[in-house]
Order: sequence, then structure tokens, then C-alpha cells
Amino acid sequence: MTDFGAVPGLVELIDAHGETTIVVTRERLADAAAHLREEHGFNFLSDITAVDYLGWGDAGVSGYIGTPAGRDLNTPMTQGYQALPQAKPKRFAMNYHLLALRATRPERVRLQTWIDEGEAVATLIGVWPTADFHEREAFDMMGVGIDGHPNLKRILLDDDWDGHPLRKDYPLGGEPVRFSDAV
Amino acid sequence: MALDGKRLRDLGLQSERLLMPTKGPSNFEEEVNDLEQKVGLTTLEKAVAWAQTNSMWPDTFGLACCAIEMMSIVASRYDIARFGMEPFRGSPRQADLLIISGRVSHKMAAPLRQIYDQMLEPKWVIAMGACASSGGMFNNYAIVQSVDKIVPVDMYVPGCPPRPEQLIEGIVRLHEAVKAGVPPAYELRSVAK
Amino acid sequence: MATVTQRRRHGTPIYEHSRIPHPTPSVLTTSEELRATGDIMTVNFGPNHPSTHGVLRLIVDLYGEDVTGLEAVVGYLHTGFEKNMEQKTWWKCITYPERIDYVSFQNNEYVFVAAVEKLLELEIPAKATWMRTLLCELNRIHSHLVWLGTSALELGAISMFWYAFRERDLVLDLFELVTGERMHTRYFQVGGLAEDIPRGFYPEARKFCAWMPKAIDDYETLLTRNKIWLERTQGIGLLSADDAIALGQSGPVLRGSGVDWDIRKDEPYLAYHQVDFRVPVYPEGDVYARYRVHMDEMRESVRIVDQCLDRLENMEGEPWIADDRKVVLPPREELHTSMESLIHHFKIVTEGFRVPEGEAYVAIESPRGELGCYVCSDGGPKPWRVKFRAPSFVALQAAATMMQGALIADMIAAVGSLDTVMGEVDR
Repeated sequence: MTDFGAVPGLVELIDAHGETTIVVTRERLADAAAHLREEHGFNFLSDITAVDYLGWGDAGVSGYIGTPAGRDLNTPMTQGYQALPQAKPKRFAMNYHLLALRATRPERVRLQTWIDEGEAVATLIGVWPTADFHEREAFDMMGVGIDGHPNLKRILLDDDWDGHPLRKDYPLGGEPVRFSDAV
Repeated sequence: MALDGKRLRDLGLQSERLLMPTKGPSNFEEEVNDLEQKVGLTTLEKAVAWAQTNSMWPDTFGLACCAIEMMSIVASRYDIARFGMEPFRGSPRQADLLIISGRVSHKMAAPLRQIYDQMLEPKWVIAMGACASSGGMFNNYAIVQSVDKIVPVDMYVPGCPPRPEQLIEGIVRLHEAVKAGVPPAYELRSVAK
Repeated sequence: MATVTQRRRHGTPIYEHSRIPHPTPSVLTTSEELRATGDIMTVNFGPNHPSTHGVLRLIVDLYGEDVTGLEAVVGYLHTGFEKNMEQKTWWKCITYPERIDYVSFQNNEYVFVAAVEKLLELEIPAKATWMRTLLCELNRIHSHLVWLGTSALELGAISMFWYAFRERDLVLDLFELVTGERMHTRYFQVGGLAEDIPRGFYPEARKFCAWMPKAIDDYETLLTRNKIWLERTQGIGLLSADDAIALGQSGPVLRGSGVDWDIRKDEPYLAYHQVDFRVPVYPEGDVYARYRVHMDEMRESVRIVDQCLDRLENMEGEPWIADDRKVVLPPREELHTSMESLIHHFKIVTEGFRVPEGEAYVAIESPRGELGCYVCSDGGPKPWRVKFRAPSFVALQAAATMMQGALIADMIAAVGSLDTVMGEVDR
């Protein structure tokens, strides 16, 4: 396990499902990115995903009742416990999926930062030029502001589109289907 | 003409539609026959319709998955060159048929209408696939729920994606309709003319 | 007499320094002095164009025949997959990813299903793993055939289209035999496969594997040493290894630039660590190198399919889906005898199974490169967020770098060699 303790702006390190998530503050994001590229060799940015957590935990969902190995249906009282989803610090999360592309010991990590409505993240084009299109998509679909992006235009929707479709308060749209409640 | 009132079956043609001896012509064929009687094309119009259907050149308007199946009807197994439709024109000004194969997003709606307007009359439109016919599985903000909101459509071919045989069935039915005297959709439907 | 280019030694740079445009990496802008000449013509390669793969719009600045400025405008096929998937249960979602990269549909299905299985921590039976590997490799052959047919068609080698699509129909016949549907098969299920492998598949697949290498030999006879093909593809669309990594390229584009990175070998998934195959890497970084990578990959895929068939033929009667009744439908016979099975069947079909809270990112090697799926679950029956990392989306960013100092005819070759599928780019 690589030691990520020296990443600037580090808030938390999460290890789940075999993946490491490095949570950093919004202000130190660019420094953290540069540090990861220079010191730890994460030279490849796979993906930038923006997630909107508006309404997280409102629907009283319960967790997966069971174990990975399967359950014996016919044995009563073998349920697991129910869980409610953990509360999130802010509304939006920006996830940067990084890859250390090397022959020996390639590694993947997720760099995560939390922002509120109206806050912006710094552009990472200087660190990984491939961030260009991904950041434009995050802006287009989620309305996440990117500071310092040289070409911040909408990429997937019309230039004059109103709103950011992947936000949770944006409706799905489309036409109502008769006799069908399902979408 | 060699037929002289003989049935195709008597001449040895065993096409799928004639395989069921107790079943008569399909609904579509009956309707087309009735239409032919009612519309009453003159010989000249019939000749023109025959020429139009036998060399109805499509425009390359492949958008998404249906485009891949449209490419396979051009390929050797489902060959539409036998219907005279092999040359897919790059320019809409030289094309007769617009096969809208794939989902049309709102951003693409304007170029689609532009391509349609650039085509010269007579022109026909086939909405290929579920997405072009009705929006398909994408009932959302991004996809136009059926291209007939934008262009008048002559033939809807369902499927996701339709098999090449399905698309050829749609094309052949369009040809039969044209030969029977059905005018292109822009003369029938008042929407988006 | 056609000659094959001298292979550049691995490690020597294709060009010095970086050619990534500044300030915007994905936009090539005409220099000021050229603009001042007044001879720049801006041409729009609109969304409807016979030679752009799908609905891609390229705004190109031309100085005579030289390309001095290039910008790719995408979004003409934006479908809102991710928003739609948030409204469907996990099971119903699986039909959506297939249509994202509509040429390599089963790879898309697999990456989504793998991400869900990662959150569920399910164990997949061996038969399902091997069959999935086989189908993904058949899909790779399918995708490369479509690429070969259409790219060669655009460069004028029209016959290639017919030959490639002839074999493509054979692959689709195999898909139809197994799943009932030529494209968009919807055969992968969370936990394994939707149904058992039908009888008669193995002999048909063997026939295909015996035929395919000869077909690839035919294609290579037509193109690989063809003088016209060499002139139109060698030295075109240069992309150095460092630029390729900086621009996030993967798949044949990266391997054609000399970087030995294939997720199937370096981060194995499915049964790839149990099969023997080579990863072709060519150091020249041009369109010809990518073409060679594609052709060699097709051969390796046929070998992988053969090895999968060897294993699968000995797995008759084994389960094809996991045994976890909270996620997977119980077998129909059980519904007649077990009340719990009936209830679970009902719950899974109506409400949908639940996936534990968490987030996962899975990356696989699709024919285009690294296809990734990020899934975030809140513990409920519907996904909270699904995001697909599409290799073509990233590949289009490299178009500007590749087109430096190129002619307009080269643009078709270079953009074609990126193997973009617009459904993926726009999602």
C-alpha cells in the first residue's frame, strides 16, 4: 500500500472495494494533483466524474441484506443488518480517477474533492492535458465551475442550453407514456 | 409484360408471402391492391413510379447503432444493390431517400432538418429503429421523441436495431406503396412540411 | 515494389518535445501570421459527412491544403444515458450501456455489470467468466472489422468494406446463436450470464476460428504492403508516447505509439490471466502503426477465443450465474416448491435487487482503449450515479495534436485511425 500521507490538502484516505480514495480540500486540489503526478507517478488521468448528492439519504433505503457468498433462503433469521447511507459533506463531489501507467506495479487511485453549489475547482490541464474535455463535460452536465480552463464551453449540449441536466433537481424530460407509471 | 395475369406462384416464385396456401395476400398487400384501384395511376405515372422505386438512392445519414445495421444491408449478405440502392450518396442534393438510422438529439435536429430541406423532391424518409420512430428507450431531455416531429416520415421500421431483413422489408414496402400511387409523406402530412 | 517502413527502435522519440497545442490541448489554432495573410479558409466538416465516423463535426482552418486549425465539436448524439440510468433499476440499466459504444456492445455491458458486481462483491462462476471472455473477444473482432471496413473505405480501399463485413456477419451469426440478437445482445447479467450456452455453439465457433485467420491474411494481402496504403498511412497522424499518455490515450492509439499498456495483461480481469496471447506494440506512432496493431489484435483475439472454447467445452452442466438469491433470479423449478424463492423472484423483478452503498470504478480494455465505468450506489434498487469513461471521447482530444503539419486528406486517415464511435463520445 502506497503511503499517501504527504499529499497536500489531505482530508481523508478511504479504502473500499480494493480502491483507494484520497480526499483533499478544494483549495489544494492542483497541488495535490501535481504531487501525485511527480512523487507517485500518476501520469495518466482516466476520468473526471462529478457527482451530485442532492437528496442523498432522503429515500429510506436499506443496504444489501446478505453476504457475498450467497445466502440460504430457507434458513430463517439469517439477515444482515440494515444501514442508511452515510451523510456527505457537501453537495458535489469531483472524482479524478488516476492511473500510474508503468510496467511494474501499475496503480489506480481516486482523487476526490467536495464542493458546494457555486464553488469552482481549479483546472488540471496543466497537470494532465487530457482533463480538457472531461472538465468541460463536468461543467456542461453538472454546472461545476472550472477556474482557469481556457475553453470552458458546453461540449455535449447546445451552446444555448439552459440548466445542467445531470443535477438531481433537473427533470428527466421526455414525454409522458400512457398507461405506464414506469419511466 | 411476361406476367399476363398469371400469379407469381404459378410461375414458380415461392416467396415468403405465398408460402401459406390457406392464407391470402397479407393486409398490406390487399390494401396496396385496393389503393392501386382507387388511385388509378396512368401508365405514365406507373412507369415513373417504377423508375423511382428501382433506383431510390439513400443518403448517408447514419447516426448510431442502426447505422451499423444499415451498413450491413449494403454489404454482400443482405445486398440492397439488388434493389438498386447501393450508391449511398454523400450529398443530400443527389439523394432520394433519407434513412434516419439512430437516435436524433436536439442538437442534431437542426442539421437533420437542413439535410432534409436540401434534398430535392420527390424524397422519402424512413425512420429506422425505435429511436427514430418514437424516441425508443430514451424518453428524456436529450432525444427528440420521434423524428416525425421534424420531418415527415413515410415508413417506420421498428427494432433496436432492426435486423437487416427488417429494414429491407421496410424498404420493399415503401417501394410497393410508391408503385401503388401513395405520394411521398410531405404531400400527405401537414406537419413539418 | 512496395516496401514496409523501417521500424523505429523502441524508445526513440517520434518527434522532439510535445506537440500538444497550447493553451487548449484539444484545439489547434491557426497562427497569427497565417491569419494575417487572409488566405485562411474555414471549412466545416459537418455532422453529416460520409467520412467522419458518425456525427462528428470538425471545424478546420485550411491554408491551401494544409490544416492549420482544427476543433472538434461533439454532442450531436448526446443521449442522456447517465440520467436515464438513474431512473431504472439495476437490472433494467444493463440495456443502456450497450448502446453507448454500439460497435463493441458487450464490452460496455461487461464494464457496467463488473462495476455492480464489485460493489456487491459477488463471486462469478467459472463458466460465466470464460463465456464472457469469449464474447468480449468476439466483440473485439467485430469492432476491428467495422473499423477496418469503414476506415479503408474512407481512404479509397472500397473492397475492404465488403470483405470485412462478410466476416462481420459471421461474428453476428455467432452472437445470434448464443443470445438471439445480432447486436445489443443483453446477455450479461449481474452474477453471470442470462442463460446457459445453447447447444451447437461450440462447433460453430470453432468453424469461425478456423476461417478467421485466413480472412485476416486476405486483408493483409490487400493492404499491408500496398503502396497506396503505405503512402496514405505512414508518417501520418504522428503521436509520441509522452503526448499519448499526457492526452489520456489508450488502446491501439497508445500501443501504436510504442507504449506497452494493455489492461488485459497489466490489470487482468475476467479470464485473461489464464489465456496466452500477445499484445502488439508498434513504435512508429502513425496511422500505419495503429492499423498493424488492429490487425494483430484480431489474430490474437481468435487465439483467445480458441482457448476459451477449449475450456468451455469441458464445462457442460456447470452453473452460468451466481447463486446469490438476493441478486439473481432463482431457477424456475424452485418457484414451485419454495415460498422464499417465490418472494425473492417477485421482489427482484418488481422492486429490483439492492446494491450496497459505495462507489466503484472498473476499467477494461475495450477495442478502443480503456473503457471505464464509475458507479455510485446509495444502497437502493436504482443507481445514484453512473458515468462511463469513453476512450473515443478522450481520443478526439488527440486529433488536434496529430494534425500538426498535415494535409486535409491526412485528416481523414488520422481521425479514422483514432477509431472513434460517436455514441461513446457523446453518451
